[in-house]
Amino acid sequence: MPIYKVSFVIVGGDYPGTIVNLSRPPEVGEKVKLGAQVYRVVEVLNLIPPRGDFHYIHATCRPLQPDEVGNLNN
Amino acid sequence: MAELNEILQNVEIFDGLEKAELDQVAQICRERKLHAGDYLTTQGEAGDELYIVTQGFVEVLLGEGTTPTRVVVNLGAGQIIGEMALLDQGPRSASVRAVDEPTIVQVINRDNFDLLCRGNYHIGYIVMRNIAADLSFKLRHRNLSEMG
Repeated sequence: MPIYKVSFVIVGGDYPGTIVNLSRPPEVGEKVKLGAQVYRVVEVLNLIPPRGDFHYIHATCRPLQPDEVGNLNN
Repeated sequence: MAELNEILQNVEIFDGLEKAELDQVAQICRERKLHAGDYLTTQGEAGDELYIVTQGFVEVLLGEGTTPTRVVVNLGAGQIIGEMALLDQGPRSASVRAVDEPTIVQVINRDNFDLLCRGNYHIGYIVMRNIAADLSFKLRHRNLSEMG
């Protein structure tokens, strides 16, 4: 089963970013909750080639405006 | 033990180990449960343990002396902490604090880890290679964060 090791980097905020293993890769446009805040994924790319079950992903996110937060699924 | 093996299979530093080797790793792990705000390591202090986050998040803090002033990264499930002190035997390079309630880590003692690696060179090679790759990934993340 593939494992996605994701480096989340936030542009335009104080949040320092997160590294976490996920069961699926993040998608552009998706909302993600990192720490106490919700962010929008704006870019996803393969950081380095996969090795074994592990895929290495870099995702850039931006903070949501208060009126964008709503449901995590949209 | 079976549940712990399943957790360890999803940790990058053990990727490439056979099932029997994972059993050996599981035997030197012990679980520690942290409350939000609990410190796992303190910058500047001696340390002889490696930690694997299995549930929740921790934040890595840097500061002046032992007073943390800024968060440099958050680490979630599957990530390792304390590998620098484990490898170079220097003081902790950062403080690490639990964010989620609860946060659960697996703890591996340096002496037990060394003994395991000396007793099985395949485990030693795989784990050391993967720790190097993990350090490289963290450096790439740090570089990308600073560019962002």
